[in-house]
Amino acid sequence: MKQILKIEHIEKYYGNKGNITKAIDDISFEVQNGEFIAIMGASGSGKTTLLNCISTIDTVSAGHIFLDNADITEIMEKELARFRRENLGFIFQDFNLLDTLTISENIAMALTINKVPVEEIDPRVKKMAEKLDIVPILDKFPYQVSGGQKQRCACARAMINSPKLILADEPTGALDSHSAQMLLTTIQTMNQEFDATILMVTHDAFTASYAKRILFLKDGHIFTEIIRGEQSRKQLFGKILDVMTLLGGDLSDVR
Amino acid sequence: MYGKLILRNAKRSIKDYLIYIITLTLCVTMFYSFLSISSNYYHPSIGVQYNLNILSDAMKAAICAITFLLLFLIKYVNNYMIRRKQKEFAIQTVMGMEQKTTATLFFLETLIMGLVALGMGIILGTFCSQFITAMLLSAYGQPFQLSWMLYPDTVLLTIMFFTISFVLIGLFNIRTIRKIKVIDMLNADKKNEPHFKKSKWMPIITVLFSIFLIIMLVTGISKMYYYFDTRLPFSVHLMFWGNILIPAFTLVGILAWIFLHKKFGFSKLVIFLLIMALAATASSASVPVLQMKYYLALGTGTNNSYMIFLLVGLVFIICAVFYLASNVITSMKEKSLQKKYYEENLFFFGQIISKLKTTTKTMTLICLTLVLSISMFLIEPALNGWVSGYLDTRSVFDVQVLSQYNKAFDIKELPNTNYDFVTEYLAENNIQIIDDCSFSLYLPMAEDFHQRIKWSFPVLAISLSDYNHLLDMRGLDTITLDENEFTTQWQSIATEEERNEFIESHSTVRTDAGILEMASENASDAALGEYLYNNYTDVVYVFPDEICKQLLSVNRNRAIKTAEPLPYDVAIGLQQEFERKFPEQPEGVNYYIRTSTQQINSTTASNFVMQASMTYGAVVLLIMCFTILALQQLLDATHYKYRFGVLRKLGVDETHINRLVLKQLGVWFGLPIGIAVLASTVFGGYFFNMFSSQISAYIGAEILAVQILLIAGILLILLTCYFVSTWILFNRTIRKE
Repeated sequence: MKQILKIEHIEKYYGNKGNITKAIDDISFEVQNGEFIAIMGASGSGKTTLLNCISTIDTVSAGHIFLDNADITEIMEKELARFRRENLGFIFQDFNLLDTLTISENIAMALTINKVPVEEIDPRVKKMAEKLDIVPILDKFPYQVSGGQKQRCACARAMINSPKLILADEPTGALDSHSAQMLLTTIQTMNQEFDATILMVTHDAFTASYAKRILFLKDGHIFTEIIRGEQSRKQLFGKILDVMTLLGGDLSDVR
Repeated sequence: MYGKLILRNAKRSIKDYLIYIITLTLCVTMFYSFLSISSNYYHPSIGVQYNLNILSDAMKAAICAITFLLLFLIKYVNNYMIRRKQKEFAIQTVMGMEQKTTATLFFLETLIMGLVALGMGIILGTFCSQFITAMLLSAYGQPFQLSWMLYPDTVLLTIMFFTISFVLIGLFNIRTIRKIKVIDMLNADKKNEPHFKKSKWMPIITVLFSIFLIIMLVTGISKMYYYFDTRLPFSVHLMFWGNILIPAFTLVGILAWIFLHKKFGFSKLVIFLLIMALAATASSASVPVLQMKYYLALGTGTNNSYMIFLLVGLVFIICAVFYLASNVITSMKEKSLQKKYYEENLFFFGQIISKLKTTTKTMTLICLTLVLSISMFLIEPALNGWVSGYLDTRSVFDVQVLSQYNKAFDIKELPNTNYDFVTEYLAENNIQIIDDCSFSLYLPMAEDFHQRIKWSFPVLAISLSDYNHLLDMRGLDTITLDENEFTTQWQSIATEEERNEFIESHSTVRTDAGILEMASENASDAALGEYLYNNYTDVVYVFPDEICKQLLSVNRNRAIKTAEPLPYDVAIGLQQEFERKFPEQPEGVNYYIRTSTQQINSTTASNFVMQASMTYGAVVLLIMCFTILALQQLLDATHYKYRFGVLRKLGVDETHINRLVLKQLGVWFGLPIGIAVLASTVFGGYFFNMFSSQISAYIGAEILAVQILLIAGILLILLTCYFVSTWILFNRTIRKE
C-alpha cells in the first residue's frame, strides 16, 4: 500500500521563553492510502493543533510533514492556499457551508476554485450527490435542510476534488445521534468505496469506532494506538472505552 | 477605574468608530458652516443697500428643519455601534458589571467620540464657511474676500445642538442596552442564518401603483372630455390617447394577472408593469412639453398633476428595477455556465443576490433619496440663475413707478400724474436724481380698451422720444424712425420664433392716427425692465411722437436713476409712502412702485436661502445615503467574516479574497448610485429641455456646465470618503481573529 502522509517528529510550542506550552511533543506516524484513521484525546491533548498543522492552517515548530512525499512544512506562504485546495478536503464540526448558495452551488464552489472546466462541473456535482444521497436537496439553501444533510453536503464538497487526504474535525459534533450515525456510515462508504484517505479528529468513542485505526493523544504525544483489524465495531468500541478509562488517569492520580 | 476603561476603550476602538466619526464630523461641519451666516457677528462687506436680517431668520429655520434628518442618521449610526459592540457588553455584564454601568460606559465612550467629531467638525466648518461666504458674496454680486473668524454664537449653538442630541440619543441607547438580554448579547454574532425571502414591500407598491393608474386614467378621460379638439396636431392627439390607453391597458393587464397568477409569477407582472410605467412616464412627460409648445388649454394645474404623475412613474420604475435586479442577476448567472462557474463568481453572485433580496426596500429608498439629492443639486443652479437673471432684467432702474389699467373699465379713470411726491421724498432724504423719465403707454386703437381676453390683450405703444430717453438712461444707443413708421421692443423672455412670427404678421399696424409701416430696424430687445409691456404680451410698439399724441394713454410710468443706490430703510419708507397715497384697489387703476434696492434685497435673500438650503439639504441627503449604504455592509460583517473564512479554508488566495471584497462593495455602492445618476440625468435633461428658453436667457449653458461639474466633484469626494472607509472597516472585520 502506498504511503500518503508521513509525520516526522513534529513539535509545536506556544508562548514565549519563560512560559512554554508544548501542544505537540514529538509526534511521528504514517498514514497509508485508503486508510480511515481517527485521532482521539481529551480537550487540550493537542489533537486540533495536530490537525491544523497537517491542514497547513498552522505551522509546526520543529519536524516535517510529508503529504505524498511533498514536505508541506517547506511550502511558501503564497503557495499554501493552492496546495490546500488541490490536495486537501475539509469537513468541519459546524459545516462551514455558504448560506448564500444552494447545496449544489456549495459543492460546485470547490470545483470552480480549482478551475475545473465549466462543462464538467454540473455532471460531477450530480454524480457526487447521487453517491451521497442528497439529490433531492440540491436546489435548496442550507437553512432549508437538516444538520445531517448539511454535513453530507460538506462531505460531498470535501470529496469532489478527489483530494489526497480528507481532514474531518469533529464531524458529528453538531449532530443528533441518529444523524451522526447516518453521517458516519456515509464517511465509511467514502472510505471503502472511493478509497478516500480520511483523518478524523474526535473525542467521541462511538464516532471513533467507525475508523480502521485509532491514535490516542495525551499531553501532546501519542499515548497508544488501536488497530481494528478483523474485529467487529462493537469489539473495537469496547477497546476504545478501555483505553479512555486508562487515559483518564490511573489510581495514582486519584490518591 | 471606569474612567481608565472608557479612555482605553475609546482609544482602542477608534478604528471601529471610523464611520461614526466621519459621519458626525460631516454633520457638524455642514451645520456649522451654513449656520455661521446667520451669526450676529457675521458682517460680510455687501454694501448699505442690503439687510442681512431677512436672511438670517429664514436661514435658521431652513437649517433646523433639515437638521432633523441628521438626528435620524445619528441614531442609525448609534444602532450600528450597539450591534457591533454587543459581545463586549456581554462579557462586561457576565463579569458582574451591572447592565446599567455597561450602558453608561458605552454612552460615555460615544460621547467622547462625539465630542472629538464636534471639535473636528467646527474646525472644518470654519474652512467650509468660506465657501458659503463666497456663495453669499457672489449672490450679492460682491468680490470674494477671505474672512477668518470663529463666530462665538454659532459655535455655542452648534455645541449645544449636538451635545443635546448626543445626550438624548445616548440616554435612549442606555435604555436599549439595558433591555437586551445577556444571552442575546452573547449570541449576537451567532444569529441563525438569514432567510433569503423576498419582502412584502413590492406587492404593496404594486397596489399603490394600481390606484395611481386609476387616477391617471380618470384624469386622462376628463381632460379628453373637456379639452380635446380634432383640429389639434397629431402629437397632441397621441398625448391625449396615450394618457388614457396606457393606464387602461395596464389596469387590464393587472386584472388579467389576478386571474392567471398561478401561471405567471409575480415577477412577470412586475416586468409588465415596469414596461408600462416607462410608457406612462413618457406620456405624462409629454403633457407639459406639448402644452408649452402649442399653448394648449388643459385647465389649471394640469401641468402640475402630470409632473406629479411623472414623478410617481419614476418612483415606481426605480422600485421595480430594484425588485427585479436580483432576478436579473440570477438569470444572468443561470444563462451562462461560463460566468457562473468562473473562479469565485458563484460566491460573488450569492453575496449580491442574497443581500438584494433581503434589502430591496432599503436599497430602493436609498436610491430614491439619491435621486432627490442629485436632482436638487441639478435644479438648484438653474433656479438660482433663473431668479438672479430675472432680477437683472427686472430691476433696471433705481426707482420704477407704474400704473395698470386692466381693472379699470372707464376711460375717465385713466391716470395723468407725474408722481411728483416721489421726487419730494427723495429730495427730503438727500437722494440725488441723475435722470428721470415720466412717460405714457398708449393703446394703438382706443376701442381695444375693453379687450380683456387673456390671449388677445392689445399690444401697447410708447413714443419714440420716451423710448430713446429710456435707452439713454440705460446707456444704450438711441434709434430714429421715419414718419409713419414703427418698430418693436421685446422682453428678453420672448423666443426667436415668437418674435419672427409676430413681425411677419404685423408688417403694418392700424392706429387711431392712421396706418403705420414697419421700419427696417424692426425689433430690439434692450433690457428696459418688465413694466413696459401690457399683461400677457412680451412686446411694445415704438411709434413716432406725432402719432402718440393722438392716441389714448392708458398707463403712466416713471423711471428714475439716482446717484447712488437707495439705502434699505429709505427704500422701505418710499414704498410705505407710496402705498399710503395709492392703496391697492379691487377695481380701477392700480399703481405700483418698485425700487431696485428692495427687489435686490428680497430676491437675493430669498434666492440665497433657497440656494443654501437646497445645497445643504442635498449634501445631507447624500451623506445619509452613503452612511446607510456603508453600514448596510458593515452590519452583516459577522456573516461576511464567516463566509470569507469558509473561502479561505477552501483554499482561496488572499488576492482573490481582496478582489471579491472590492467587487462586492463596488456593486453595492455602484448599483444604487448608478441607477440614481441615470434617473436624475433623465429628470434633469427633461427639466432643462422644458425650460431651455429661460435657462439660456437667464443663466447660460457654460455656467450650468460648471455647476454640474461641481456637483459631480462633491459627489465623488463624498463617495470616495465613504467607499474607502467602508473598505478598510470591511477588511478589518473579515480578518479579525
